[in-house]
Amino acid sequence: MLRDAALVCGKDLRIEMRSRVTLNQVVPFAAVVMLLFGLALGPDRRVLVPAASGLFWVAVLFSSVLAVQRSFALESADDAREGLRLSGLDPAGVFLGKAGAVLAELVVLEVLLAMAMALLYGAHLAGVPVLAASAVLASLGLAAVGILYGAAASGLRVRETLLPLLFLPVVAPVLLAATKAWNLALAGTPDRADGWLSVLGVFAVLYLAIGTVAFGSLMEDR
Amino acid sequence: MTAVAEALSQPEGSISALSETSGRAALALRVTGTLAVVGVVATAWLGLFVTPNDVNMGDLVRLLYIHPPMAWVAFVAYGIASLSSLLYLWPRTRHPRFDRMAGASAETGVVFTGLTLVTGSIWGRPTWGVWWTWDPLLTTTALLFVLYLGYLALRRVPGDSEAVAKRAAVASLVAFVDVPIVYFSVSWWRSLHQAPTVDLTGRHLYVHGSMAWTLLLGFVSFTLVYAWLVGHRYRLSTLRQREADECLTAAVAERQQEGQS
Amino acid sequence: MSGYVEAGYSVVLVALGGYSISVVVRERAARRRLPAKLPGRSADRTGEDGGGSR
Repeated sequence: MLRDAALVCGKDLRIEMRSRVTLNQVVPFAAVVMLLFGLALGPDRRVLVPAASGLFWVAVLFSSVLAVQRSFALESADDAREGLRLSGLDPAGVFLGKAGAVLAELVVLEVLLAMAMALLYGAHLAGVPVLAASAVLASLGLAAVGILYGAAASGLRVRETLLPLLFLPVVAPVLLAATKAWNLALAGTPDRADGWLSVLGVFAVLYLAIGTVAFGSLMEDR
Repeated sequence: MTAVAEALSQPEGSISALSETSGRAALALRVTGTLAVVGVVATAWLGLFVTPNDVNMGDLVRLLYIHPPMAWVAFVAYGIASLSSLLYLWPRTRHPRFDRMAGASAETGVVFTGLTLVTGSIWGRPTWGVWWTWDPLLTTTALLFVLYLGYLALRRVPGDSEAVAKRAAVASLVAFVDVPIVYFSVSWWRSLHQAPTVDLTGRHLYVHGSMAWTLLLGFVSFTLVYAWLVGHRYRLSTLRQREADECLTAAVAERQQEGQS
Repeated sequence: MSGYVEAGYSVVLVALGGYSISVVVRERAARRRLPAKLPGRSADRTGEDGGGSR
């Protein structure tokens, strides 16, 4: 299963390395969202700094929708999906591999976006270990739910409109917990973020488990 | 409830299932419907005219007889929908009837969740002075509403019925697991904020005598309304499915005849 | 009365009534369409009444 996961993950990341769609389109999109938030809230630092982590995570949520859509656009081209099914890979491995690739893309996006946040909103990046830990755990949860729903919606003609509606309400706790963890870390009290980190951890583990068990029935037949 | 159980126990795919459903199960459903109407009318009459005003809340206390039953039915509906989805996902109990049950129950649940939010808002406005407050229960209910709107949207996407059923079952599972996480994280989020909170539990409401009986009747009658609605919604899905199947069979038969002549 | 109570009860009545009617109407329509699609095989089912609604 893990070997299959590594194969699928490597394949998706290799495609990304060659096509650079996430880097050249999704990351700039996230930056645009951050810029628009800045315009909407005005130039006042007293407004922007407390809101910074919330805005950051909303931008990440929107971008993860795009990343998931991209991840399944790879499979729909040239009927790659059928190839994936015929390859005899373990569905759980396919799930973990695709989630791993999205996780890697999201982490890169978050690093770049955090720099943009510090630059645009004047937020001082403090408590980096907590920032990093919550970012990885949150991205894991986002990737797991995203791949699960992405697979459910892929191949449907309405997938572009359906996926955000399905995905965003489910990941609301991720937004909440990650924002709180980042707020605490940025405010200089990273040791109080443990509880929120465990919320993110529980969320990620639960949805990875559901995905590992249920992904097979989504791939079986259509 | 008996009507639902009866409908579920019908043999699937047999041509006679339809006439069987319109036998005993239909009778049970009709009885449920009658009782539901009588119960709701009685609840409204008792709630609006018989029960006394509350010392603190005045006549607003009358919303007590409809708002909590709505929320209760919504949660029951989602519970049954999730259970049916699990039974569908489990290979040994996989059967289209569980998929239809999940769809019927979730759709009814969305109606009742919407009513929970609206009646709660109507109650909140004169009591707290706001239409909305970021209370854990309210926030969880609102998220439940959008979660299951998405679920119903996913169900409505046409396709091979088995694939649709599997997608929907997985989505239902994902949504159901989310509910406790949302509730927990929102309540924690609220407890950390020092914002002026509205205490939902401490309404200083003393439920007694006729009020308690009316509330109980409200719970029972709206649960009956739910059972009746789900029974009919379930039957509607069964009819639609059979229509699709038989259209296909008829079309195939026609083509075959064309080929022979 | 304050108007809020009436509003609450009416919303519930209208929503549940409307939803019930829509379900029953759709069910009747589906039931009517069904035998029509199947000439010859519908004879055993024409005897039943339109539905189990009240």
